[in-house]
Amino acid sequence: MTTGRLTVLVVEDEKLIRRFLRSALEEEGCTVCEADGVGRGLTEAGACKPALVVLDLGLPDGDGVDFIHNFRAWSEAPILVLSARSNEQDKVRALDAGADDYLTKPFGVGELRARARALLRRHGRHGDAVDPVVEFGSVRVDLSQRSVLRNGEPVHLTPIEYRLLRVLLANSGKVMTQRHLLREVWGGDRVEHSPYLRVYVGHLRQKLEEDPTQPTYLLTETGVGYRFQPPVAALESS
Amino acid sequence: MGTVQHGDRDIQGWQGIALAVAACAAVTLLCLPLANLLAPANIVMLFLLTVLLVAVRLGLSAALVAAFLSVALFDFFFVPPRFSFEVSDGQYLVTFAVMLVVAVVTSTLAANLRRNALASALEARRARALYEMARELSGALTMAQVAEITRVFLRNVMNAEGDVLLHDTQAGFRSCAENAPPSLRIEPALALIAFERGEPVRCNPLAGSGSAALYLPLKAPMRMRGVIAVAPLENSAAELTDMQAQQERLGTMASLVAIAIERVHYVEVAQRSQVDIVSERLRSSILSALSHDLRTPLTALVGLADSLVEYRPPLAMPARETAMAIRDQSEYLAGLVTNLLDMARLHAGKVTLRKEWQPIDEVIGSSIKLLGRALAGHAVRVRRGGDLPLVEFDAVLIERVLCNLLENAAKYSPPDQDIGIEVALQDDCLAVSVVDRGPGFPGEAGDSIFEMFVRGEHESTRAGVGLGLAICRAIVEAHGGSIRAMNRPEGGGCVSFSLPLGTPPALDEEPTGLEEAS
Repeated sequence: MTTGRLTVLVVEDEKLIRRFLRSALEEEGCTVCEADGVGRGLTEAGACKPALVVLDLGLPDGDGVDFIHNFRAWSEAPILVLSARSNEQDKVRALDAGADDYLTKPFGVGELRARARALLRRHGRHGDAVDPVVEFGSVRVDLSQRSVLRNGEPVHLTPIEYRLLRVLLANSGKVMTQRHLLREVWGGDRVEHSPYLRVYVGHLRQKLEEDPTQPTYLLTETGVGYRFQPPVAALESS
Repeated sequence: MGTVQHGDRDIQGWQGIALAVAACAAVTLLCLPLANLLAPANIVMLFLLTVLLVAVRLGLSAALVAAFLSVALFDFFFVPPRFSFEVSDGQYLVTFAVMLVVAVVTSTLAANLRRNALASALEARRARALYEMARELSGALTMAQVAEITRVFLRNVMNAEGDVLLHDTQAGFRSCAENAPPSLRIEPALALIAFERGEPVRCNPLAGSGSAALYLPLKAPMRMRGVIAVAPLENSAAELTDMQAQQERLGTMASLVAIAIERVHYVEVAQRSQVDIVSERLRSSILSALSHDLRTPLTALVGLADSLVEYRPPLAMPARETAMAIRDQSEYLAGLVTNLLDMARLHAGKVTLRKEWQPIDEVIGSSIKLLGRALAGHAVRVRRGGDLPLVEFDAVLIERVLCNLLENAAKYSPPDQDIGIEVALQDDCLAVSVVDRGPGFPGEAGDSIFEMFVRGEHESTRAGVGLGLAICRAIVEAHGGSIRAMNRPEGGGCVSFSLPLGTPPALDEEPTGLEEAS
């Protein structure tokens, strides 16, 4: 897909899980290096300079979040976190520490490959100019023109709604924690603003989604935050 | 603590009078041989001294008897003509009169003095007893100890039977002694009056009935804690009067007991929460270890089976189908494990809710998205009333409720039939209903389908252990809501749960018309 083979670091203590992660990522055309703990993971990361890290949060020799902090100190490469379903707080901590996305165990190979592909692509085009025009459903947003059209008709957004939409679009596909969005849109991560966040996401859905109760693009990651899910066609074409 | 109440008072009465008579007789006998040596004035002095001593030792009535007797004896034995009550010299009449007045006045004064001394000694002993009680109460560690100390104090110092009754808003009064005095009869209505008014209530029970005559409220700094019921041991009027006189002291005792009870109460609360914290921590660490240990092999199983399905070049069809079956069954098993662990978590202790104010739409959309393939092609129609307020709930848990309900609905709906979610305001709560066009619920099942491991009749052939609805109920009830299942008249089942509305935080409206800023 991209030039040359990209390296993916898998940090996971369970050997069998590493095995299918490796085969799935190799299917994607990546070179895989493995580590079974935080310590080994950091050493390997320094050695193989990965373009993506797949990280299990429950490691025997330490907290996966420590790995993220350490890794983020010197690398911008995306991190995909693996976590159990009931641990929303862990996911939020990992995302706030700098992880980019998460997968809930157990997960299918197809899902893993899709997430890995999206992260690699987003990271790969980092240097290029970001396309200011984003299209999803019947909506067309031009970030350079600050215009939002739905079926060709301009949609009126309040400044906060627009700011929120812009942050979500700029991080297309990435899970944004509540804290992150509050900081970006309102400034300061004041938790008492979180009802505002939910209300404004609701407004955006009313204005931009076909069925606001079953959104396709502006998705809730329950207990964690929100995500703009780009349309499949856009993924394929880029 | 010795018995303080009785003692010296018993010497009074006939015994005291007899002693007084004996004393007077002794003085007479002593003076008879000396009658010629002593002047009559000195003999009078000796009699007066006797009366004084009798008054000091034996009290007023004995002293009065001694006073009159002394005058009579002096007249009879020592005033000429001797051995007769006749008086030859009229001057002796003055002597008699003065002697009688002095004897009566001194005996009255001395007896008063003695009574006061006795009373203050009694007071001092009671005060000391109260002090000792306070000291013992400060060392009490349990309610039973407090009750025992109170009973001992009442019995020894107040000569009364008593019991400490603690008040509980649910259970009413209960004795906190380990073995309540069987003879004590308590009138709950009077105890309640004392408790509610915060003032002592007195009554005059039938003598010998053993009923409590006095109810003292236990007013502690934080709140009213209960009542002390007191009954005099010998049910005489004198004891009752005494008890009324002692009311102030009893009041002091009650406030000491109240403070002790409050202290013991908070000690118990602190200990309990300490134990709760420790066991909660243990439980959650066991559960998360269990969860990790169960999920890790399941994750490997799902992932490995799925990589067989996706294998390039593709496997032969039978092998690929087998791999798909392994994957699906593993995913199903993972779902069951999640349900079991959730149930264990919900049942193990207090559910900690991460409540936030949010629109219900959030979790409706996300649960439909989350179920995805498990909805098996059933479309979900959402019908919501216009303007719904924010509701305070734990999004992860309510999403779980919706997922379980939708999954059930999908399982029982005929293929290609829609599933409906209806949201409406009902009085003071938000009602969310999941409706399907399946066979509905068996008529008599009622609430029992929300019990653990209970399943509808016609589902023995379908997968599931009947945990889903039990989890839903535990979560909804933790939110202060309710859940119920019913059959719709037009066919199909409906499970409806409610969340209390409360008062959402006021959100400032964003100023509009700022298009130029965006």
